[in-house]
Amino acid sequence: MASLTIDNVTKSYGQTQVLKGINIAIEKGEFLILVGPSGCGKSTLMNSIAGLEDVTGGRILIGNADITQAAPKDRDIAMVFQSYALYPNMSVRENIAFGLEIRKVPKVEREQEVQRVASLLQIEPLLDRKPGQLSGGQRQRVAMGRALARRPKLYLFDEPLSNLDAKLRVEMRTEIKKLHQRLGTTIVYVTHDQIEAMTLADRIAVMRGGELLQLGTPQEIYDNPVNKFVAGFMGSPAMNFVPCTLVASDRGLGVEITDGAGNPSWLPVPNAERLGGYIGKQVILGVRPEMITDPVPHKAGEAMVCEVPMKVLVTEPTGADTMLVAEVNGVEINCRINPGYSTPVGQVVPLMFDMSKVVFFDPTTEERIDRA
Amino acid sequence: MVKPQKTLNQQLLRYGLYVLLGVAALVYLLPLWVMLLTSLKDVEEIRNGTLLSLPGTINFDAWSKAWSGACTGSTCDGIAPFFANSFRIVIPAVLISTLVGSLNGYVLSLWKFRGSEILFGAMLVGCFIPFQVILLPMARMLAMLGLANTVTGLVLVHITYGIAFTTLFFRNFYVGLPKELISAARLDGAGFFFIFRRVVLPLSTPIIVVCVIWQFTQIWNDFLFGVVFSGAQTQPVTVALNNLVNTSFGGKEYNVDMAAALIAALPTLLVYVLAGKYFVRGLTAGAVKG
Repeated sequence: MASLTIDNVTKSYGQTQVLKGINIAIEKGEFLILVGPSGCGKSTLMNSIAGLEDVTGGRILIGNADITQAAPKDRDIAMVFQSYALYPNMSVRENIAFGLEIRKVPKVEREQEVQRVASLLQIEPLLDRKPGQLSGGQRQRVAMGRALARRPKLYLFDEPLSNLDAKLRVEMRTEIKKLHQRLGTTIVYVTHDQIEAMTLADRIAVMRGGELLQLGTPQEIYDNPVNKFVAGFMGSPAMNFVPCTLVASDRGLGVEITDGAGNPSWLPVPNAERLGGYIGKQVILGVRPEMITDPVPHKAGEAMVCEVPMKVLVTEPTGADTMLVAEVNGVEINCRINPGYSTPVGQVVPLMFDMSKVVFFDPTTEERIDRA
Repeated sequence: MVKPQKTLNQQLLRYGLYVLLGVAALVYLLPLWVMLLTSLKDVEEIRNGTLLSLPGTINFDAWSKAWSGACTGSTCDGIAPFFANSFRIVIPAVLISTLVGSLNGYVLSLWKFRGSEILFGAMLVGCFIPFQVILLPMARMLAMLGLANTVTGLVLVHITYGIAFTTLFFRNFYVGLPKELISAARLDGAGFFFIFRRVVLPLSTPIIVVCVIWQFTQIWNDFLFGVVFSGAQTQPVTVALNNLVNTSFGGKEYNVDMAAALIAALPTLLVYVLAGKYFVRGLTAGAVKG
């Protein structure tokens, strides 16, 4: 039985459709992330689940109960807001217990619940403080505590980490993941940060312009995106998109590329059987930066791996890897290089292209053309 | 470290500014000073001295006469009964208009509905209606309600007139509150009034102070509504003061007039002194956040 079912939900403000028929179902205990650029409808969808906004059409179910028309308080949902939305006039203890108090939970139980949540989140020393006396990270914890206190059926997180500084954000990300693993709660989490999406989610829903583009596990979304937008949105640095022509030769199907120094090369293509209709036509080749590396001996000789001379334009060392910028068919591409590999700027060095995971898009529709 | 020396020019400018401010303060304080001096003199001294000459002996005879003995029209009980009238009018009118304004503001900012902006705009028009325009219709209405010449009637008039302002104050203050606060409370299970009472009202202290000061001053100082809608027994102190000054048997008692005027002004003065700091803070609170 699905824990949350979003069944063909639409939402319009006058003539503008902000949700164009969204269908998502998640199981109990699943961590779903809604991700997409600003204005893609992810926050609207979340508010619709919470009941803070009405939907124009479709149904929302929690378990088997249709809650499309239910008031927010009757949905058994807790939400963590981007701004935390802690009640400034109440202490941390009162903030956490507020929902229990409204639901007429006896005082003794309320206090037990506050203690349980406080120890879970390690905020016991803060219980008597006001939100104004807390740091950003502490407020974040209290906001989560408030959500956890009622033990609702569903948790909603609306960009909860976006107000924290980079280091704290990574810490809290891990914290949320641990919490989810420990409590096994069902979570819907909105973010525009694709790293948060990759690290936290059991499943990711990528949205754009009010449409659900793809719903899948992080790895599916990463390896097998449905279109160029999803491919470019997930992954950092982003996937390289190279315009090229598919050619059939005696070595099989492949693409021809030219680097910044004018050296032509030929690269093999996987899943050739699905690309038959595009031979001789312009396509967009999508290849992730980590698939273009310094030559590594253990891969040499594999069918989809070739060494290609490339002119180095820029190198950006990050410590663990060096990002190398080269040019292919007139566009700049990122390659992930071992820092030990010597890549003097302006020189032509051999790089290894692993083509086994490349994807292809139609240049006009931007849809995948080699997807199974 | 050597402090950068100010040029002579800058220093002169600075002192010029102080002098200007000092003069301005003096100009504003002078009438009050003259009133205070005059109220402490007896009639003889007033006639013989100048406006600014100090009283020979300080005596409060004029004050006690103004309070309980001076004639205001046909009665000669001083302004004390009317002072009490003013409080009977001001206290309920301020409390009710503030409460209604806060509820209106709460709805118009945090529970917006289709047309709520238009409604708010329409209410704002109420701030710009001149008093004189509504005198006749209001008189008709009070008569129909059987409230003509009563304290209750005046309270009703002031509440009606004040709601436009109090709504504006509270609405603009609440617009600055994060909407997520309301969303969070709704998900926590709180209803409309519960959120108002437990979440919104506790955050409203600055704007309540502003509203109370504003309404108190407006209603206490009102003359026109007081003179039009009150009866002989229900006049507010402003009307009584006017009657006191205009009622004279023989010589004009400037000392009593001044004392009565000072007494009539004391409550508003007191409110400003006690809460003035919040007033400035509250008025600018919304402005900073935008």
